[in-house]
Amino acid sequence: MLSSDARADRFSEVVMPHLADALSLARWLIGNATDAEDVVQDACMKAHASIASYAGGNARAWLLTIVRNSCYTWLARNRPRSIVSVGDLGDLDEMTAARAVDVPDSENPEASLIAKPDTAALEAAIAALPQPFRETLVLRDINGLAYRDIAAMLGVPIGTVMSRLARARGLLISDLGRAQ
Amino acid sequence: MSAHNDGLPEDAAGMNLMLHALVDGELDAAAAMAVERRIAADPKLAAEHARVMALLGAVATLPKPQVSDSFSARIAAMAAVGNVEVLRPKAQPAQAKPARTRWSTRNFGSFDWRAMAASIMISAVLASGATQWAMQPGATDSFAAGVASGHQRSLLATSPVDVVSSDRHTVKPWLDARLGLSPPAPDMAKDGFALIGGRVEVIGGRAVPALVYRHREHLITLVAEPQNAGAVTDPVDLSEGGFSLVQWSDGAFSYWAISDMERPELEDFVARFRAAVVTG
Repeated sequence: MLSSDARADRFSEVVMPHLADALSLARWLIGNATDAEDVVQDACMKAHASIASYAGGNARAWLLTIVRNSCYTWLARNRPRSIVSVGDLGDLDEMTAARAVDVPDSENPEASLIAKPDTAALEAAIAALPQPFRETLVLRDINGLAYRDIAAMLGVPIGTVMSRLARARGLLISDLGRAQ
Repeated sequence: MSAHNDGLPEDAAGMNLMLHALVDGELDAAAAMAVERRIAADPKLAAEHARVMALLGAVATLPKPQVSDSFSARIAAMAAVGNVEVLRPKAQPAQAKPARTRWSTRNFGSFDWRAMAASIMISAVLASGATQWAMQPGATDSFAAGVASGHQRSLLATSPVDVVSSDRHTVKPWLDARLGLSPPAPDMAKDGFALIGGRVEVIGGRAVPALVYRHREHLITLVAEPQNAGAVTDPVDLSEGGFSLVQWSDGAFSYWAISDMERPELEDFVARFRAAVVTG
């Protein structure tokens, strides 16, 4: 076991640099900034308690895994209806696979329409994504994790990460295209 | 749609995934070049590529949350004190529900944060043998995750094998020539498991041989990690996340069999493979 000084040192190396990413993931999973701070603080306590189990590698992914779990614990307590069960996720992935091909042209807007949406419209579109798609998109496009890290964090194959990400981006594109 | 013979998916859905992988920098140079060629030749793909790039540009402009000084001071103080109890803001929730589900399930239910913290510790301790191979960073688990993503990628690729042959006298020399070693590759077609070829997987920075068998419509990837006089271990079930995964060792190789078949079928494969290796 680590001494408490070593623990504090490692905590400041592993956790502190990634607080902004932690806050942004929590904000997108939970839906508001105030609760996100509480959840991240909770996650940091867990990270501190289990800092000895950090075995090197991607510190951001390690912290975000804990943040994500904290978010779901928080959601289960405070918004039990928002939790998506594992069975629903399976259905979503099947739906994604079935719908991925041949999107009608009306949902294929010009790139120039998407390049400069107003911030509120884009944030609303992301917030409206079904949770597994939103989570995958945020981990990749906002937190900047690699497919491999996301797959490990979500406990799904890389192919599932890829199809959820493609679906999430497709939904945003057609949403933003329609809003113009 | 005409065949491109560039190793990329021929269907629109598969190609769409490759486009996103290109944008995300997840492809190696050869695959990236092949995808870029497809984009250049296909106006529909080019338009989709432009849309995705525009979207990523827009997402990048979203304001990042600010870490306020007071917040980071609070977190830093917590670490310095070294006692998480001190700063626990509220009393323990009185209504902690007994929703203690299997702790490898995706959503952790609603058990309290102590149990959470404890489970993180426990899972780290158990990592080498536990069922959480896809979620944990330990050495065995990341190898298992590597096996799983290699298998997954092979299903996405045009061909799951680099050397196509049902003849082990072709597959073994091919692997030998590339890696200087090859695992036993028994032909088990009479048992319903046909050898269809082999490929080289790179897992954890190491090139390892992989055999591919077919059972009805399912593919089985068998990765054989060389061991130096390693221990002999019986098959262990590491299945998770929609795939069946079984691992065992015979002293010379550590074997990882993965498939989307049901686990009993994969275990049947493993039993037959082990028997076939013993009888030569």
